[in-house]
Amino acid sequence: MEAVLEARGLGRDYGPVVAVRSVDLTLGEGEFLTVFGPNGAGKTSLLGMLGGAMRPTRGSVSIRGETVSLSDGAWRRRVGMLSHRGFLYARLTAVENLRFYGRLFGLEDLERRIPERLARVGLADRSHFQVRQLSNGMRQRLALARALLHDPDVVLLDEPYTGLDPRAASVLRGVLTELRDGRRTVVMVTHNLKEGLELATRVAIQVSGRFAWEGVADAVDREDFERHYHQVVEDPS
Amino acid sequence: MEYFVQLSAIVWKDLLLEVRSRERIAAMGAFAVLAGVLFNFSIDTTAVRPQDVAAGLIWMTLVFGGLLGVGRTFHIESQDGAMQGILMSPAPKDAVFLAKVIANFVLLYAISLLVLGVFALFFGVDVRNNLGWVSLILGLGSLGFVAVATLFAAISTGTSMAETLLPILVFPLLVPMVVFGAGATGRLMAGRPFSEVEGNVRMLGAFAFAAVAAGAVLFRYVVEE
Repeated sequence: MEAVLEARGLGRDYGPVVAVRSVDLTLGEGEFLTVFGPNGAGKTSLLGMLGGAMRPTRGSVSIRGETVSLSDGAWRRRVGMLSHRGFLYARLTAVENLRFYGRLFGLEDLERRIPERLARVGLADRSHFQVRQLSNGMRQRLALARALLHDPDVVLLDEPYTGLDPRAASVLRGVLTELRDGRRTVVMVTHNLKEGLELATRVAIQVSGRFAWEGVADAVDREDFERHYHQVVEDPS
Repeated sequence: MEYFVQLSAIVWKDLLLEVRSRERIAAMGAFAVLAGVLFNFSIDTTAVRPQDVAAGLIWMTLVFGGLLGVGRTFHIESQDGAMQGILMSPAPKDAVFLAKVIANFVLLYAISLLVLGVFALFFGVDVRNNLGWVSLILGLGSLGFVAVATLFAAISTGTSMAETLLPILVFPLLVPMVVFGAGATGRLMAGRPFSEVEGNVRMLGAFAFAAVAAGAVLFRYVVEE
């Protein structure tokens, strides 16, 4: 299988604090990796480096063979990121926010693409609402539409279920399920064991900046995983 | 072509947000009017002619007022991490910088014309004969100012002392702009011909061009972590 997303010896320090130690990762098309871990395990830093939002202290990342750096590159068109923050403008409407990002990505069929994406995340009837008039859950869904607007090969999701009500979580689950179309590579970091396991093809537990455990999702005993997770977090060695 | 689409998207977004919030234009406009009023009362007209000091005060008002608005240019991006969204897009960093400069220039140039009007009213300055040239000089000055201030606003935004740091970083670099700008404006206001200030205007233009070019090159080093 061709590697889409690769990380080699990836590490990140904040002064004396080592957030990510040395992560090696190879993901191909259609793979969905969920990274679990406690607060402060370095999950967000890992995602930031994979998406080119943060410079690694050591190691490297490549997407379809092109090295990821903070500078400009064609690889940026292949990455979509849903972060803790939505990257949205409160005084722009949902449509205006998507049109803005669509133009930054050089997309030409925005008149078709934007209504389609808004409908998919259940915001068709709020398309002309300013973001400040939307609830947190709606903003999260709009941020997801923004992240997927340019049809990226690699999707990076940072705690996407945080703050969502059951309906919004259900919409999100539907969209994420569609991402398992065999074409995309997805990395999701989350605390939520149930949601995280549901979609994953591969699973990792990150503790103190490194992958303390990795496995194939199909081989994971889902009933037993919570106990296993706590064991790994308490004794990562 | 895509470069201009990306650039215009950011300009459109910045101006639309300003039209809706009116945060920066209101602050700069109020400052310009109040500064004109206060300067009017602070001058002893029996000792100096208001027209003789108007040019310098116009440029000082422009610099201080401009910093109020341009200094906040990246605050609109920081609210929901939107700057990261822009930086993670394929838009070239120099396009991001130039777009910010254009949007800030539109705002500041409008304010500079307001400042001119306020000082014409309170200081009895008559620029009707040279209005076009004075407007050009204010335009070049505004462009040089926003280029320098936008770059340093990107540096200072996110620091704990942003409001204090920005003027300390920017003011020393604006000395040439104020010297050439105030000199040319003063002479034109005094009714002197444009040929007398042509050298000043060329220097002002060179300053603006150098500031924009340097900013476009350096911006990536500021925003790339």
